[in-house]
Amino acid sequence: MTTLQKKHALAAFAAISLATTLAGCAADGTDTSTGSSDNGSSDTVTGPYQDGTFEATADYQSPNGTETIDVTLTLEGDVVTDVVVEGVSVNPSPEVERYQGEFEDGIAAEVVGKKLDELSVDRVGGSSLTSGGFNEAVEQIKIKAQPA
Amino acid sequence: MVSVEQRVAEFDRVYSRFRDDSLVARIAREAGSFEFPPDAGPLFALYRELYEATDGAVTPLVGSALETLGYDRAYSLRPSGPARAVPPWDEAFGWDEPRLTVLRPTVVDVGAAGKGYLVDLVAALLRARGVDELVVDASGDLVHVGEGSLRVGLEHPLDSTKAIGVYELRNRALCASAVNRRAWGNDLHHVIDVATGLPTRNVVATWAIADTALLADGLATALFFAGEDQLARFDFQFARMFSNGRVEHSARFDGELFL
Repeated sequence: MTTLQKKHALAAFAAISLATTLAGCAADGTDTSTGSSDNGSSDTVTGPYQDGTFEATADYQSPNGTETIDVTLTLEGDVVTDVVVEGVSVNPSPEVERYQGEFEDGIAAEVVGKKLDELSVDRVGGSSLTSGGFNEAVEQIKIKAQPA
Repeated sequence: MVSVEQRVAEFDRVYSRFRDDSLVARIAREAGSFEFPPDAGPLFALYRELYEATDGAVTPLVGSALETLGYDRAYSLRPSGPARAVPPWDEAFGWDEPRLTVLRPTVVDVGAAGKGYLVDLVAALLRARGVDELVVDASGDLVHVGEGSLRVGLEHPLDSTKAIGVYELRNRALCASAVNRRAWGNDLHHVIDVATGLPTRNVVATWAIADTALLADGLATALFFAGEDQLARFDFQFARMFSNGRVEHSARFDGELFL
C-alpha cells in the first residue's frame, strides 16, 4: 500500500466544500437536493478548526431511498489532509433484490465477495454516492472541530 | 488563478441538467444553436466514438428517457409517460465544435462520461500547479498520478460492505458504474437501453481503467451494452459483472478478482 505523504495534495470532490468554507468563501458545489435552487449548506459555522480526525454520519435521500454516508476528515492547520468516505448502507431496490435472489438460488454465483474491512485497500470503486449526504456530514464535522 | 472549487462550479453551470440556470437546462427549453466552452470538444468527440462503437447505445440524448422515467431535476422518481426510444444522434442535433444545434428543445445528458472528464480537468489543474503526486476521487471515479500505486477495492454491487476484487491503479484512471445506487420504483435504474428507453437488465456493474478518466468513465457505461470486441478501438482494461454473478475481464487486468 502506498502512503501518500502530507505535502502531496489529496484532492477529493468531497473536500472541496470544506476547503472553500475554511477560506471564507461560500460553498457552491453541485446541488442535488430535491427541488431547491439554493445550495444546502449554510455558512454559519466557520474556522479556525482544531487539528485532528473527525467523523460524522449523515442520511440523505438518493434515487434509491435513504443513503447513509460516513465521512472522516483529518484537519491540520485548517487544511484537509485526509478524507475517507464510505457508503454505510444501500437500500436494495426490487431489481437488486431479484439479483440477490438469483445468487441465493445458486445460479452460477461465480463471484465471491470479500469484506472490505478484511482487505487492505486505499480506495473503493463503485457507483457514486450523492453529494448531499457528504455535505451534511461535513457540516457536522465543522461543528465537532470547533475549538473547545 | 482558477481554484478547483471554481473549475467544478464552472463545469456544473454548463453541463448539469439538475439546475435551471445551466447551458444544458437552456437547451432543454429552447431550440437553437448554442456555443459550448472549449472543454466540450473532447467530451463530445468521445461520445461520438462511443455512440458509433456501441451502435448508438451510449448517447448524450438519453436525458429525456431518464427524465421520463423519473430521474429528473426534482428526483420525482415517478414515470411521467410511456418509455420512448432515444432519437438517433444525427436526427436530434448537430455538433460542430464549439456549437451545438438542436431543432427542438433537447435534454443533453453527459452522465456517462462527464464526471470522469471533470476528474481529468481537476487533475490537470493541480498538475499545472506543480502537484505531481495526487489522487482525484469523485466517489468511485478516480485518477492516480505519481509514484507507487493505489489499491482500489471493486465494490460488490449487491453488498457495499464487500469487494469482488482489488485493482492496482498506477498513473491511470479507474471508473466504476453499477445499477445499485440509482435505482427506484418498479425495477427502474439509471442505465438505459436506448432501443426501449427502459433500464438494461443484464450487466449489473462495470469497471474500466484507461489513461484518462474521461475514457474510463465512458467505457464503464459502454460496457453495459458492448463487449471487448465492439470496444477494440480503445486502449483499456476492464471487468464487468452480470446479473448471474459471472464476471468477465480483459486479458490484461492489473488486479485480482475473487472468483
